[in-house]
Amino acid sequence: MTSAAPTTAAAIARAVAAGTTSAAEVLAASLHRIAALEPTLHAFVEVWADRAQAAAGRIDRDRAAGVPLGPLAGVPIAVKDNLVLAGEQASAGSRMLAGYRSPFTATVLERLEAAGAVLVGRTNMDEFGMGSTTETSAHGPTRNPFGNNLVPGGSSGGSAVAVAADYCPLAIGSDTGGSVRQPAALCGVSGLKPGWGRVSRSGLIAYASSLDCIGAMARSVEDLALWLDLAAGPDAADPTSGPAAPPVSASLTTRGDLRGLRIGVPWELNGPGLDDDVARCKDEALATAASLGAEIVDCSLPAVAHAVATYYLIATAEAASNLARYDGVRYGLRRDGLGRLDVMTTRSRSAGFGDEVQLRILLGTFASSHGWSEGFHDRARALRAQLRADFAQAFARCDLLLSPTSPVPAFPLGSSNDDPLTMYLCDALTVPASLAGLPALSLPFGATTDGRPVGMQFTAAAQREDLLLQVGHVLQRHTDHHLRRALP
Amino acid sequence: MPNPPSLDRALMQHLAELARLHISPERMPILRQRLERILAGFSALQGVITAASTPIAEASPRPLREDRASEPLPVATVLANAPESAGSSFLVPRVIDA
Repeated sequence: MTSAAPTTAAAIARAVAAGTTSAAEVLAASLHRIAALEPTLHAFVEVWADRAQAAAGRIDRDRAAGVPLGPLAGVPIAVKDNLVLAGEQASAGSRMLAGYRSPFTATVLERLEAAGAVLVGRTNMDEFGMGSTTETSAHGPTRNPFGNNLVPGGSSGGSAVAVAADYCPLAIGSDTGGSVRQPAALCGVSGLKPGWGRVSRSGLIAYASSLDCIGAMARSVEDLALWLDLAAGPDAADPTSGPAAPPVSASLTTRGDLRGLRIGVPWELNGPGLDDDVARCKDEALATAASLGAEIVDCSLPAVAHAVATYYLIATAEAASNLARYDGVRYGLRRDGLGRLDVMTTRSRSAGFGDEVQLRILLGTFASSHGWSEGFHDRARALRAQLRADFAQAFARCDLLLSPTSPVPAFPLGSSNDDPLTMYLCDALTVPASLAGLPALSLPFGATTDGRPVGMQFTAAAQREDLLLQVGHVLQRHTDHHLRRALP
Repeated sequence: MPNPPSLDRALMQHLAELARLHISPERMPILRQRLERILAGFSALQGVITAASTPIAEASPRPLREDRASEPLPVATVLANAPESAGSSFLVPRVIDA
């Protein structure tokens, strides 16, 4: 997009509705930028140029005919490669699903298309969401626009880069333990993980069902609110989707400042182990919130000390079960079994799954197996209950909790591949909200001395996405961190 | 409470069979070392006393929805992704001896 063009989803939809630009012009600018930068960044696995041009053409014809346009009319949106669209491929970043074409469309994508969104392509991701760098993708790594030798975070790294590189103002991701918030932080964009069940997961390729959430990334909190109002709500196709909630966009501007708001700072998420620049940005974020009238209070979430272990034992046990469906029979990769079904299944899975996925399936199989589940998986479930109780206690005293999103900024590609435990510890600040099913928002809030973005995470009580987005909107009206761009 | 486990060859082989994965002899020691490192890091969890009474398996409980019949996908649509099919069926190697 050129600098003169509207750069937020809300502004694009307004301009298309007013006729000051067309959906076709907006899409052409998006595709032009993708063509120029993709050889370096590799955010997309596939660009749906023809499909997107057809959608943009329909919107422009509707406008010319006087048909009322939807609230996302003409807005280009990138979609993570684990959300399915009828007739299009979806691979979840895996060789296992190479060539798979979905027979149906994910509910969240149906709702966005009904609102006029133009889906431009599927974005790169860690295989089945299992990674924090987008390097475990079978399609090769994605690069961070703030440094081509840096990871974009993960697992929704392609979606974060699609927004950070101004391909699209809005991108859809999924967040199991931080996979929307962490790449948003590492790429300098805003990312929302709604509470568990707020957005239907029908059509999301499963990783860990008690944790998986569909989320979004954008430049502005206003766009995230617009997205949530369209995406959220009950869905007969997903029995875990929650009841309808009041729209958040209407209340987005109800606060002029943060007076009357108590922001809790859990010391377990804000203590030792933070990169120096990240700690400095956190102090600056707290000072900004205080200057806008928020009361800052100390609080504690003791069970957070074990959150990474708790998360990985639960997530991998669920993944071992969910990924049992890839047996080479109904869809996905099949290898010859020399006439035997069990050999066919074992060979297909061994050839289709990458190293990290196989490691996590083995870990989850171990943690939930006879003789070991009591000491590992059952303990993890008990600690999950304890963590949820800790959050309830904190929210009895505070309206929101604040911590950095990631303990470290973007790091070089290839630097975490040999030590899975070190990579898992990068998720230490995002997995607590996932385990408790709470909504959380990552906002860009400063940078390291060498210019890498730093994100701050705000966590709210269940069903309080409205408060989260109101506060984010106030902060973005009074600061300009979210306007900083990696590329001209 | 069990100690941090040592994953001997037999246990690794058992896990691989349960998970329907073939681990080559070259990869086995690498995977074993990684799993042992992860489990050693996670073992502290075993000694933690929790006050919360009931372990939970979900982020927030949901009531079960009403059971409703709906139209299934057409057979041809479902079979379009099948690695091998015959008529209206998925084709797999024989599992019952003739």
